This record gives sequence, C-alpha cells and structure tokens, in this order.
Amino acid sequence: MRGLFRWSGKWWPGVIPLVIFWAIAAWTSTEPLEADLVQRTTAALKDTVLDKRRIVVAGRDVTFAAEAFSEDGRLSAVASVEAVPGVRLVNDETRLVPEARPFVWSAERDVVRVTLGGSSPLPSSKAKLIEAARAGLGGVEVTDRMNLSRGAPPRFDNAALLLLDQIGKLKEGKITLSDNKVALSGMARELGGREAISAALKNLPEGYSVAANDIKAPPYIFQAYKDPVAVTLTLTGYVPDNNVHAALVAAAGRKFFSEKVVDNLKASLGAPSGFAAAVAPALGALSRLSTGTLVVTDREVKLSGDALYEAAAGQIRAGLGKEFPPNWQFKPEISVKPAAAPVDATVCQQLFTELLGKARIRFESGKADLVADSAGLLDRLIETALRCPNANIEVAGHTDTDGEEAANQALSEKRAQAVTDYLVRAGLPASRFTPVGYGSTQPIAGNDTDEGKAQNRRIDFVVRQ
Amino acid sequence: MAYLTTFYWGWLLASVLLGLAMGWISVVQHGEGVSKNMKRWLAVLAAALVAAALARAVPGRFGYWLDLGLTMFALYLVGCAIGSWLRDWVVSRSAPALRDLP
Repeated sequence: MRGLFRWSGKWWPGVIPLVIFWAIAAWTSTEPLEADLVQRTTAALKDTVLDKRRIVVAGRDVTFAAEAFSEDGRLSAVASVEAVPGVRLVNDETRLVPEARPFVWSAERDVVRVTLGGSSPLPSSKAKLIEAARAGLGGVEVTDRMNLSRGAPPRFDNAALLLLDQIGKLKEGKITLSDNKVALSGMARELGGREAISAALKNLPEGYSVAANDIKAPPYIFQAYKDPVAVTLTLTGYVPDNNVHAALVAAAGRKFFSEKVVDNLKASLGAPSGFAAAVAPALGALSRLSTGTLVVTDREVKLSGDALYEAAAGQIRAGLGKEFPPNWQFKPEISVKPAAAPVDATVCQQLFTELLGKARIRFESGKADLVADSAGLLDRLIETALRCPNANIEVAGHTDTDGEEAANQALSEKRAQAVTDYLVRAGLPASRFTPVGYGSTQPIAGNDTDEGKAQNRRIDFVVRQ
Repeated sequence: MAYLTTFYWGWLLASVLLGLAMGWISVVQHGEGVSKNMKRWLAVLAAALVAAALARAVPGRFGYWLDLGLTMFALYLVGCAIGSWLRDWVVSRSAPALRDLP
C-alpha cells in the first residue's frame, strides 16, 4: 500500500493522453448520446396523452415541456422521463392544460363549411369529432378551430357527436354546448328538419339540456294557380300528410268544376297548425276568381286575381279572413275582371245551360242551404246574368222522387228561393228572378238509379223574354 | 450506468489500458514524482469535482463531460494501481531469484 502511494506520484504523465482521450470521447459521443436519449424519452411517453410536448436534451439532462390533462398524468409523465436509462436530470417544464370555465364547444355551419370551435377535452375527442364531421357531412369542408382544455362535463363526447349529427340538418346555423347546456340557432335545411332536430335532442346524454332552440324551419309553402287559358288548377308545395292531401285534391275537384286539377303536392312535416282548415276555404275563394294565384306561406295566405264582378270581390276580401283559424293572416289582392260584352237572351240561356251542364248547384242534404263548394259556379251564373240585364229568369228547383211529393215540392221551392236570394245579395235586381219549385214532376233522367236521381236534383235557369 | 458504458465502453477500456501501462512504467521509473503537497491539492481538486458531479451541480453538456472525464480518470487510476502492483509483483519475484544465484 505504501508502494502504491509512492508510485502514484509518477502516474501523472499518463493524464496527458487521458485528457486527449477524454476530449475525443466527449467530441464524438455527445451528439449520438443526446439523439438516443431523445428517442428513448419519446418512446417512454408514447402512451401518455399530452399536448404541446417538447423534449430537448443537453448532455444527459432532459428539458421536458408539455401540457397534461390531469395532475396524475403530469406526474406520471415526468416520472416516465426520469426513469429513462441514461437521463441524469429532468428540467420539468410541464403544466396542466388550462381549464375552461364554462366549457364551451361549438359547431357552426355556413353555406360551404362547418367550423368546429371552442374547447375539446382530449386530443382523441378532438380527432373523433373532426372525423365524425367529415364522415357525416360528406363533401362539406370541415375547419377545426378547437383548442384543448380541461373541465369538460361528463359524457361530453357523446353529446358533441349527437350535436354534430344535427349540424347536417341545418342549412346554416350554430350549435353551442356550454357546460351541459345546448343552444341552437339557424335555419333547417328541409321542412321537418326542425322537428327532426328537436326529436334527436331528446337523446342527449343524461345531465344535458337544451337552453335555447331557435332553429327556424324553411317556410311551409302551398300554392294553387288557376289558369283560365289551359283551364287547369295547378297545386304545388307541401301538405301535412296523405289524408290532407287527398281531402284537398277532392275539395279542389268539387270547387273547380271545369278545371283539370294538376296535383304536384308533396307531403311534409312542419305544417303550421290549422293548415287544412285555412287552405280549404282559400281554395274556395280562388275558385270564385276568373284567374288567380293562392300562396300560403306558413300562416300567411295571399290571394291575388280577378273576381268576376264587384260584389264577389268585396265578399272575398271581407269574408275569407274570417274563416281562417286564429293567428292566420289574409292578404287579398283582388281586382275585378272587366265586364264581358252584353249578349241577348238566347245566348244567355245557352251560357246558363252550358254552365249547369258542367256542374250542379249543390245544397246540404235535405235542406235548402247552399254548399260553399258551389260558390264558383254561382259566381259564373251571376256573371252570365249580368251580361243580359234585360232578360227575366226563372230559377227552377227540381228534386228526385224519393220521399213524399209534397215535401219534395216544398224543398224544390225553398232551394229555388235560396238561389234567388243569393243572386239578389250579389246585386242583381230581385224583379228579374222568379223562383219556382217543380218537385219531382220534371225529371231529366230515370229515378231508378242513384246517378239518375242525382241528375234530377237540380236548379235550372230558364230565360223568359 | 450500464446504458452509458454501452455507449463509450471503448474509451473506458482505453483509459484502463492507459492506466495499466502508466502503472507498469511508474514502478521502475526514476526521477521525481509529484510532491506530497501537490498530491494533497490534486486530491482536494478531484474530491471537489466528484462532489460537483454527484451533486449534479454542473448542468447540460458540461455536466455530462465532467461525469465522463471523472469516470475515465477513475478507471485510469484503477489501471495505474493494477499495473503498478503487477509490475511490483513481477519485480519482487525476479529479484530474490537473482539473489539466489551462485
């Protein structure tokens, strides 16, 4: 041992080559070592969820900066880095992802793109949402403006995915999730879209609720156009369901006795309440016009066209609005068709016969009350009567043979009187009309069939010079 | 440590061999060695450097180079000690043999 101490005094010359070795070793090993440590550290953090991760190695010291999504996650990430073999010191520059209060996420749609904004809890949720947006909105550009934050409510992913599904049903608009409150605004893409969204929102995960749903439906439009040249009635737009569809087309067939009904209607959800109750009388009013257009937009009814005579225009303007359900608006734009040229009594008779050959004036069964469906026909009869102001006209009531003759006689008289009263109310002088009841004494068809009986129940206009 | 040795085991081996060679020579070398006083100061310096390395007081690359240098130096000393001891053993075996010659 003593010798060792003595000899050690002579060991110093070897230090000179040792220092040279040291310099070369340091020169050649530092960078490969650092690169290797970066790789090993990155591998150690492979399964740890972090944002904005940055790893810088100087010598054997690792500067580790990252944003973690929980305190546990942060500590375990730092521990993983410290456990990497070869690491001497860890400069811990990690912190927690900022907490969002309230936690707001939003999806906004305009014509060409969907923008996802606000906060997302984890990179995986963020990726899932972007992917779902791309998949669900095929072809629409998806812009991601989401950042990562802590503080998301439980079941955030499910709620956001469900809301993302709804964005596809919007033409434009915004859905915002603030903590667990959902707010929606914008315009639905299709009729019924608003209702579909409301229905889907019932499936929001537990704890979530809808704070505001201001989704507007596109206007619910029904249109009818009476074309006097083509002699057609064209129906376009929407009806609530197939029953209403059938009922409206049938009513149009009764009211428009000479026009062909062209039915282009489609059934769709989202009709305003009282739709059928408003459209049926509006069609009746349209049937009284010589040419006209009926446009029903949501709860607004716009009727424009030419009435056949002044009193009819007045009746439509004043009367139709009263037949609508509450909260419906009526905007009449009714003008009066210029009076047709006067004709002599013979032509008048021909015109009456022609009109009454196409359709019959109809009454409530067994009563003398005129049915509203006959308004169009009555207007045409009145227009014709106005063209021959000097002709006196017998309004002749007829019945079939059902029931007692006395009752039939009385009914035919009352019905003739009802028609005469209608004509007088329209402004024609009462002196020109003579109501006469014939009971079942003048049949024009056999009373042994229902069809024949229907032909026999009629009102005839007979011109008396 | 095992990880680091895989990285520069060549240089560590070179340090040991250098030490062995230096130790081997030093036993029979004539001339003055380092004085006692100087040895003390060098020991203090070495202790200070070891303390700095253990306390991880030197950051970054300089810290790594310090560790590397000290490791190589320690192995050099070990090599020197073994070399000197071996040479001494060889010399002391052959010296009595010479004495025993007729």
